[in-house]
Amino acid sequence: MRPLDPRLLRYASAARWFLVIGAVLGLAQTLVVVVFSWLLSQVITLAVGGHDVTELGPYVGGIAAVVVLRAALVWLLEVAASRGAASVKSQLRTRVLRGVAERGPDWLAGQQGARVSTLATQGLDALDNYFARYLPQLLLAGIATPILVLVMLWQDLPSGITVIIVLPLIPLFMVLIGQATQAVQKQQWESLQRLGTGFLDLVGGLGTLKIFGRERRQTERVRTITEDYRARTMKVLRVSFLSGFVLELGASLSVALVAVSIGLRLVDGSLGLGVGLFVLLLAPEAFLPVRQIGVQFHAAADGLAAAEEVFLIIEGGPAAGTAMETADSAKTADAADAAAPAVPASVTTPTGSLRFDAVTVRRGTTVTLAAFSATLAPGRLAVIAGPSGAGKSTLVATLQGFVPYSGSITLGETAVVPGGPRPWLAWAGQRPGLLSGTIADNVALGAPGVDKALVARALDLAGGGDLDPGTALGVNGDGLSGGQAQRVAAARAIYRTLADRCPVLVLDEPSSALDEAAEGRLIAGLRELAAAGTIVIVVSHRPAVVAAADLVLQVVPVSEVPASAVSLGEDAHV
Amino acid sequence: MSEFLPPARVRAILRLAQPSTRRFLPGLAAGVASALSAVALLATSAWLITRAAEQPPILYLSMAIVGVRAFALGRSAFRYLDRLTSHDAAFRQLAALRVGVFERILPLAPAGLANTRRGDLLTRLVRDVDDLQDFPLRVVQPLATAGMLAVVSVVGVWLLSPLAALGLALCLVLAGVLGTAASGSVAAGSERELAPLRGDLADRVLELVENIDVLTAFGVLDARLEGLAGADDRLRLATLRRSVGVGIQGAVLSLFAGAATVAALLAGFGGLSGGSLPGPDFAVIVLVPMAVFEIFAVVPAALGAWRQVRSSAQRVADAVPTTVPLEIPIESDADSGRDAVAAMSAQPVLLLRGVGASWPGATEPGVSGVTLRLGPGERVHLAGPSGAGKTTLAQVLVRFLDYTGSYTLDGVEANTLAPSAVRRVVGLCEQQPWLFDDSIRQNLLFARETASDDDLLAVLDRVGLGDWTAQRGGLDARVGERGALVSGGQAQRIALARALLADFPVLVVDEPTANVDEAQGDRLVRDILATATEDGRAVLLISHTPVPDELITARVTLPA
Repeated sequence: MRPLDPRLLRYASAARWFLVIGAVLGLAQTLVVVVFSWLLSQVITLAVGGHDVTELGPYVGGIAAVVVLRAALVWLLEVAASRGAASVKSQLRTRVLRGVAERGPDWLAGQQGARVSTLATQGLDALDNYFARYLPQLLLAGIATPILVLVMLWQDLPSGITVIIVLPLIPLFMVLIGQATQAVQKQQWESLQRLGTGFLDLVGGLGTLKIFGRERRQTERVRTITEDYRARTMKVLRVSFLSGFVLELGASLSVALVAVSIGLRLVDGSLGLGVGLFVLLLAPEAFLPVRQIGVQFHAAADGLAAAEEVFLIIEGGPAAGTAMETADSAKTADAADAAAPAVPASVTTPTGSLRFDAVTVRRGTTVTLAAFSATLAPGRLAVIAGPSGAGKSTLVATLQGFVPYSGSITLGETAVVPGGPRPWLAWAGQRPGLLSGTIADNVALGAPGVDKALVARALDLAGGGDLDPGTALGVNGDGLSGGQAQRVAAARAIYRTLADRCPVLVLDEPSSALDEAAEGRLIAGLRELAAAGTIVIVVSHRPAVVAAADLVLQVVPVSEVPASAVSLGEDAHV
Repeated sequence: MSEFLPPARVRAILRLAQPSTRRFLPGLAAGVASALSAVALLATSAWLITRAAEQPPILYLSMAIVGVRAFALGRSAFRYLDRLTSHDAAFRQLAALRVGVFERILPLAPAGLANTRRGDLLTRLVRDVDDLQDFPLRVVQPLATAGMLAVVSVVGVWLLSPLAALGLALCLVLAGVLGTAASGSVAAGSERELAPLRGDLADRVLELVENIDVLTAFGVLDARLEGLAGADDRLRLATLRRSVGVGIQGAVLSLFAGAATVAALLAGFGGLSGGSLPGPDFAVIVLVPMAVFEIFAVVPAALGAWRQVRSSAQRVADAVPTTVPLEIPIESDADSGRDAVAAMSAQPVLLLRGVGASWPGATEPGVSGVTLRLGPGERVHLAGPSGAGKTTLAQVLVRFLDYTGSYTLDGVEANTLAPSAVRRVVGLCEQQPWLFDDSIRQNLLFARETASDDDLLAVLDRVGLGDWTAQRGGLDARVGERGALVSGGQAQRIALARALLADFPVLVVDEPTANVDEAQGDRLVRDILATATEDGRAVLLISHTPVPDELITARVTLPA
């Protein structure tokens, strides 16, 4: 682990500011420590030397002033760290979410969505401690330790040399112990992981265990798992705590060495008491930042691990958007030869038949959709069927422009290429994907305003006429049952079809959570939309939906497609 | 001071987390010894140097020299010992803590843990339990160490100069009280202001990330990003406004550490000039406060840990009530009803008449007025829209929830039998079957512990997982944490295999297709009903999706 990742400075300008401010405050703190130690050693020396209290007054006043200054600097450094952390988190969060937005749904599907959102919120909070506890100490180790050692060298050469010899031994031993810890941890890693989640497994599975009458002995199992967990963890800790031991030992031994050496030289009169006390007070201060770094190491590791994940998202692979730009510029032979220029669709909404010609999608070296060809005329209700894994949802994603493909898709005279807005397409996915707000807000998503009559009509066509458009939903559409949410999602696509006169409506398994009555109402609605001239495409396996279709398109699994049909020429879109 | 004295039920949880005195004391003793060594190291060094300056015969210093070296070693050695013993004690206590919580969960699960049915909340509960380890480690021990060190140091200084001791004691108390009060009110205030902003931001991030396909398809992604940037800004600006309060506790400690030094100086001057206080002792009383306050600096961190531990304990206490709610049947005696169950026919008749049931804490019944009959070998489809109470009924049938009305097995009222006795007759394939982070073998074996590998492979074949198991490398293949390596359909099939192994005369299957795509779902339903037909098992199939008539013997529909 690098204690300070340079990428943190690159991606978060606030981190650079914090380093500058922290360095200035750290320097000031160091000077305050030197002045305080000097004043204190002087005042003790003078007092012990029998000087009058009145002579000491200015020194005591000086100490009081420095104490106040020191407290103010402690406060300022914490404030700066807190502000730095808040700004850096905000900057990193913005970059992560922009990165996610640029890469799009297809990329995100390969990640764990929940993990990304946790990372962007609580995950980044781990940086709080990194900024508040670790980074300031890192700065002080770079600023305070050298200055204090120099002062010691200047005041008393032997003491300075003692510290210079002991200081580098600490990181050396820390590295050695770190390696030993890792070796022990590696031996235990898998069992520790499993034992760590073992309790969760038992609590979560308790219902299942009860069904099979196995709950009785589990209490003993909880005890055994935890005991095993303790024994293995302690094996690791016995080694890893050694690093703390070395830190403390290095710091306290050098104080002892300095104290004894000064004492002996004071006895023979080769050193003054003032210098001796001054150096004694500086010695532990020189070790303090290094000790703190050791103590705060874990807080820092959490923060840096979160930052590392953020960097992976910010940097990870080329964004889909970029890939598509190159695809667009490279695309010449294929779709273009159909004399169908890819006009920015926002100028005119294309109309006519939707034609798929040998559409093939590859993920790396695997083909997920093989040579799909079909023509869908306006006014028809088409059902796409096929076994799971055959690429039905991939086919929908090509229409949405979320995945690169080869072959061609044309709507009327216009080529459909990956990326860019899709004003001609209304869609509802397998997941309802509802948002917080009212049902009406959800149904009219993306429209400039909410047309109440149209919302009611869309809900009606989706078989959800019984739902109150004014119902407020929680985050991610919380508050509706699966079937209700599915109908609102279908209504949302239908609203877009009606409001924007979208020629193509695509629904992916829209009735999987519906009972037969609701499914029947939805099918009637879809027939009505088709009758009005819309190309309606439904991915479904339900007999009732298949029965209502004008045509059923079978998507064939890749393994059953002849190899010749899959081989791609140079004309691939990407 | 409600901050320091949580309600009794929370204290009960915290008591579970605190090791016994016998286990706790060795760590505490080592911790105090280490802290005292640190203070003594500075005190002895200061005394040694000041005394040496008086140029006595070296003999007079030898004790101090030995002391300095011993305290230097002692500080680090005791610290190591402290961390080892206190962690060991905390881990040993973790077993007792987990068992204690588990025993409270046992009668409640699964229906009584309704609030934790969502996976992430369950994880939260378990993590909260484990976080309670911090109570002895990061709250009690540091505070006890700091307190004892403070007392011993004050007493030590008292022996040299009562006035200086008074100053030190005053500064320690003031730093403790003022620092804690300031940071407490700052933390509470900023939590009040920041928590809703943080929650709002988290919600927006979650919606954006999870629904990015929808937001893109409807062209509102940019608008959402802007809204999110606004929420982010509000949180950032509020945090910046609040930042001035953050360092107050550290500053107060630093200030009083200095004040204690100044007080010691002033107190010492008198003794020094009066001749009652020798020079070396003067140096000691002036420097000791610095060392004491350095160790006292753990107090803010301990109080921060206390706030976290307290809310963890609070959440655990909320999630796991001590009294079993009325809606959950109590397992009085595992043997009651065993004879009645043994006397039943191999294929008992399950009869429901006007059955209703409620979830704990719910104001309205989850299901009511259900009447159905499930005879030997019958396959009944229980249909109805989502929200009609189908899952509630499933929980009633295996006696996870209590009921009103009548539920009989071969004429015996189910609530006269022990719930576990009922579960020997009526089995359940849950909507989300739990897979343990273990091998396929271990995920099946608990259903029938005497089963051989051949039995297991045969049952996997029956549920259509024969090839899949072979591909994965046999029964030793792992299913991953929470079945991460297994699809929804495969998980259902494993659950079915368990039920076949346990050979329940009556099997309830709750929404097997909920997490399975349509094509697989249809095959799954066929396979479930086919195995039941082969064995002559009675099945109640709960499903909101249509089931072909030829597969079932009857259909019951619950109204919305």
